[in-house]
Amino acid sequence: MALPLYPERDSQKKKSEIPFCFPNMAAARRLKRVVASQPGFLPIKSPSEPVSTRRKRVNKNRKKNWNKYSDINDVEEFLEDVRLQERTTGGLLSEKTDDSLFFLDAGQPEKVEQEAPGPAEGKKRKGKASRPLRIDLILQHDSLVPPPKDVLAYQQPNAKKLRRIAQKAEQLAAKGVVPRRQKQLLNRRPVERTVKKAVTEANNNPDRDYYDIWGQESKDSGDPWYLQQTRKKLVKRPEKLNEKPSVLPAVEVIAPGGSYNPDFFSHQALLQEAHEVEVKKQKEEDKIVRQITVNKEDTATEETIFQEQVEGLVEEENEEEETAPDDEEESVVVGAIAVAEKKTERQRKRQRADKIKEQQRLADRRQVDQRQQLFQLRSIKASIKQQEKATAVRQIKRKVKQEAQKAQPRRLGRLKFQPQDLEVQLSDELAGSLRQLKPEGSVLKDRFKSLQKRNLIEPRERAKFKRRHKVKYVEKRAFRAIT
Amino acid sequence: MGGLQKKKFERGSATNYITRNKARKKLQLSLPDFRRLCILKGIYPHEPKHKKKVNKGSTAPRTFYLVKDIRFLLHEPIVGKFRDYKVFVRKLKKAYAKTEYSDVERLKDNKPTYKLDHIIKERYPTFIDALRDIDDALCMCFLFSTFARTGKCHVQTIQLCRRLTVEWMNYVIASRSLKKVFLSIKGIYYQAEVMGQLITWLVPYQFSHDHPTDVDYRVMATFTELYTTLLGFVNFRLYHSLNLVYPPKMDSKSDLELKGEDEEDYAMDSESYLEVRLFLYFQDCSFNVFFQEDMENMEAREKEQKQQETQTKLFEGLKFFLNREVPRESLAFIIRCFGGQVSWDKSVCIGSTYDATDETITHQIVDRPNIDKQYISRYYIQPQWVFDCVNAKILLPVEDYFMGVTLPPHLSPFVEEKEGDYVPPEKLKVMALQQGKKPEDEDEEDEEGEDEEEEDDNDDDEEDEEEEAEEKSLKKMEEQRSQVKVTPGKVKVENPARLEQEQKAEEKRLAIMMMKKKEKYLYDKIMFGKKRKIREANKLAAKRKAYDDAEKAKKKKARK
Repeated sequence: MALPLYPERDSQKKKSEIPFCFPNMAAARRLKRVVASQPGFLPIKSPSEPVSTRRKRVNKNRKKNWNKYSDINDVEEFLEDVRLQERTTGGLLSEKTDDSLFFLDAGQPEKVEQEAPGPAEGKKRKGKASRPLRIDLILQHDSLVPPPKDVLAYQQPNAKKLRRIAQKAEQLAAKGVVPRRQKQLLNRRPVERTVKKAVTEANNNPDRDYYDIWGQESKDSGDPWYLQQTRKKLVKRPEKLNEKPSVLPAVEVIAPGGSYNPDFFSHQALLQEAHEVEVKKQKEEDKIVRQITVNKEDTATEETIFQEQVEGLVEEENEEEETAPDDEEESVVVGAIAVAEKKTERQRKRQRADKIKEQQRLADRRQVDQRQQLFQLRSIKASIKQQEKATAVRQIKRKVKQEAQKAQPRRLGRLKFQPQDLEVQLSDELAGSLRQLKPEGSVLKDRFKSLQKRNLIEPRERAKFKRRHKVKYVEKRAFRAIT
Repeated sequence: MGGLQKKKFERGSATNYITRNKARKKLQLSLPDFRRLCILKGIYPHEPKHKKKVNKGSTAPRTFYLVKDIRFLLHEPIVGKFRDYKVFVRKLKKAYAKTEYSDVERLKDNKPTYKLDHIIKERYPTFIDALRDIDDALCMCFLFSTFARTGKCHVQTIQLCRRLTVEWMNYVIASRSLKKVFLSIKGIYYQAEVMGQLITWLVPYQFSHDHPTDVDYRVMATFTELYTTLLGFVNFRLYHSLNLVYPPKMDSKSDLELKGEDEEDYAMDSESYLEVRLFLYFQDCSFNVFFQEDMENMEAREKEQKQQETQTKLFEGLKFFLNREVPRESLAFIIRCFGGQVSWDKSVCIGSTYDATDETITHQIVDRPNIDKQYISRYYIQPQWVFDCVNAKILLPVEDYFMGVTLPPHLSPFVEEKEGDYVPPEKLKVMALQQGKKPEDEDEEDEEGEDEEEEDDNDDDEEDEEEEAEEKSLKKMEEQRSQVKVTPGKVKVENPARLEQEQKAEEKRLAIMMMKKKEKYLYDKIMFGKKRKIREANKLAAKRKAYDDAEKAKKKKARK
C-alpha cells in the first residue's frame, strides 16, 4: 500500500489564496501548518482541463462581483479534502505517525486458524441477537470528528454575579446570619391542614358510620312556628305516600322448575309456560306479517289490465237490459215526490179525534195495569231480587278485576312495560352439578324489571344516538395509491 | 247572564295531576336530578283514570305525577344540594379548562354532598316499616357487591355494599334466623325470619355478570344509594337487639396477625381487610343468643324454642371442609347459620381454620366426580346436601349425595302444596323422614333385582294357592247346603269411634239430600272440582311412576 503522490504545485498555490475566514483561530492556525506540510488526498488534476486563455475583465468594486467572479474552487476543494481527512482518519494525514498509516504486509494469514473459530462462532450466533440491525448501522455516527460542543449548554447567564451571590450567602451562613426572606418565611404562621372530611363525606363512603335512627326522639327545642318558618323543621310526609304503588312482593321467587336441578314435572311445567309465551309472541309477529303482505288478488294481472282498458267499449247489450228497469224506478220516484197534497178540514178533524182516542186508550190501559200489579206483587219482588243478585255478582266481579289490576304494571309513560323473558334452561342445558351450572339471565335486569313492574319507575328505553349531520365518506388518497 | 264562562281543564282531575316535565321545571332540576329525587323520596308516577281529561284533551302517553306530591318535594332540602352540585360541576369544568389546578383542588375539597338520613327517618317512621322494605335493599346490595370494579359504578359503592351485606349475613348467623335456601338458575334465594318478618333476598352467583345494556345504571345506583343507607341503619338496630357492638370491632392483635400472614396472598389491603372481617364475624358468632332473653318471656317462648332448637342446631357438632370448586361463601354462610364448623383450603381465601388433613372433619363437600386421596373418617358429599338439609330441616341420608352420584332433584322450598295437589315423590320421602320414618325406598331400590327374581318364583306358588282356595270354598258351600246347624252366636264388638264416624257420614248424606236445588248444584260443582284436582294429581303421579320405571329399565340395561 502506498499513498498517491500529489503535486507540490497545488499546495503552494493554496498558500496564497486561503481566505482568512475560519470560525476560530485554532482551526486557522492548524491550517497554516497544513499548508506548510505535504498535500492531502487531492487527486492530480488532469492536464487536459481547459484553461480559459482570455481573462474576463470585470469591475471588482462591488462585493457582489467579488463573489461572482473570483474562482474559489481550488480553495473549496482543498478544504473539502481537509474535512475528508478529518472525517475518515480523525486528523490530518501529514500529522500522523508512520506507524499509524502503514503496516507490514506479511502475506496471507493462515486459513486454519480462521476456520476453527468459524463454526464455534456460528453456534454462538444462532440467535443472531448480537448483530446490530443495518438500519442502526446506517444511522450511526461514522465521522471521526467529534461533534462540536454546545457552548450554550455550558454557559450560564449572569454566571459571575450568581457565583458572587452564592459566595456571599455562604459566608453569611458560616457567620450564622439568616437572610430576610427566609426569616419572613420562618416567621409565618403554619397553615392548619385540618381535614374537612366531616363536612364533605360522600354517601357511599365505605367506612361511614351509622347510628340508631329510630331510637332517638327528635328534640323539640324552640318555638314550632320559628322552626317552621326557618325551615328547620321538615314538612310532614303525607300518609298516602307510604302506600306502595303495587301489591307485588319485592322478590318474586322463581317457579320450582327454575331450580338448578329441577324435579322433572315442575321443569316441564316451566318449559310449557315459556313455550306459551313464545307462541303468543310468534302469533303476534305472524299477524303483523300477514297484515302487511300484499294480497295476490289485488295485484294487476294481464287479464285485469286488459279488462280495464276495454271497459265500456264492449258489452253494450247488457247495458240496454240494465237501462230498462231504471226507467221504471225513475217514474216511481217521480210519483212519490208528487204525492204531497193538501189535507182537507175533515181529515184533520178526524186525525185529531183519533189521536185523542188513542191517548185515552193508553191511559186506561196503564191504570188497569197498575191495578193489576197489586196482584203481581210476588213476581215483581222476585224479579227485583233477581236484579239485585245480578248486580251483586257484577260488583264482585268488578272488585276482583280491580284487585287483579293492582298487581298489574300501569302505563306510566310512552312505553308499555315489557316483561322479562322467562329464565329457562332446556333439558339438555341443565347442569349435572353445581360446579357446571351456567347461570341464566341477569339478576341486575331482574331487579330493574321488578322495579318497573311494581310501578316504582316508568319503563324507558336507552336514548338513541342522533347524528346531526350526515356522515360523508371520502376515499383516502393513501388507500387509492395502494389499489 | 251572570258569571264567568267556565274554562276547560281548570278543575277536577286536570288540576290534580302534573306532567313530568312541568314538575321538573317547577323544581328547577334537570331530568336526571329529578328522577333521582323522586327515587330517594319515594314519589312514583301515577296513571290517571281519565287520561284525556288530565292531558288537556290530548291522548298522548305521558308520565304524570300528583301535584300534591310535587308540592311536597318543594320542601326537600336535598333539592338545594342538587342545585349546588350543578354549580359545583360548572365551576370545576371552568377551572379545568383554565388549567387552574389550585382552584380545582379547592373546589374538590368543598364538594357539596348530602345525607339521606332524614329521608330514611321520614319514609320509614318505625323500625318495622324499614324491616318490611328490606328485601329490595338486600337484593340490591348483594347484587352490587358482586360487581367487578370496572367503572360501571363507583368502587366505593361496591365496597360499602360488600361491607353491609357481610354485616347482614353476620347478623343472620348470629340470630340463627335463616329458614330457606333455593338454588335457582338465576341465583340463590334465601329466606330468613327477622323479628317476625319473612325476608327474602336473591344473591347472584359469583362471576356471572354480563352487563345488560338495557338497564339504566344511574337509576340502579340511585336506588342503591338509598338502600345502603337504609340497610346500615337496620343493621345497627339489629346488632343492638342482640347486644352486639355495631361497627363490629375485632381484636387488633388478631387482625394484625392475620394481615401479616396473608399479605402476600392478597393484592388489595382493603379487600383482605374485608375478608378478615367476614371471617372474624363468623368466628365470633359462637355467642349464645338464646340465653340473653329476659326471664319473663322465657316461659312463653320455651315451647317455640324447643321446636326451633333442633332446626337451628342442625349442623352443630359437624365439621365441614369445602373443596375449592364449591361456592365457598354461600356454603360457609349456611353451615355457620346452623352451627356447623367450616373451613377451606388456605390458598382459596383468608380465614381457613383447619386443614384438609384434619382427622376430625366429618363432611367434605366435593363437586367433582372423584378425588385422589380419601379419608375413611368423613363423608364426601356434594354441595346440594347442605341446601336440601336446610330445607328439609333434618339431616338427610348422605347416600344420595355421595361424590359422583346422580343427585335427587333440588326442590323449591317456596312452594306450599295444598291438599290434593301433586306432590313430587322426593318431597313425600322427605316428609316421611321428617316424621321419623325410616327410608324404605332405598332398600327397595338396592334389592330390586333380587326382589324380581323372587317374584317370579312367587307367581307360580300363587297360582297353586288360588286353585286350592277355590276348591276349599266350593266344599264349604256344599257343606252349608247339606247341613242346617245352630251355631253359637258371636258377640258383636261395637267400636264407638267407628259408630260415630258412620253416624257422621249418614248425617252428611242426609244433609246433602236435604239441600236446595241451587245449593246442591253448587255443592256438586265444588266436589267435582276437588275430584278433578285429585284426578290430575293422580295422573301426574302415574306419569312420574312410568317415567321412573323407564329410567330404571334404562339403568338396568346399561348395567347389563
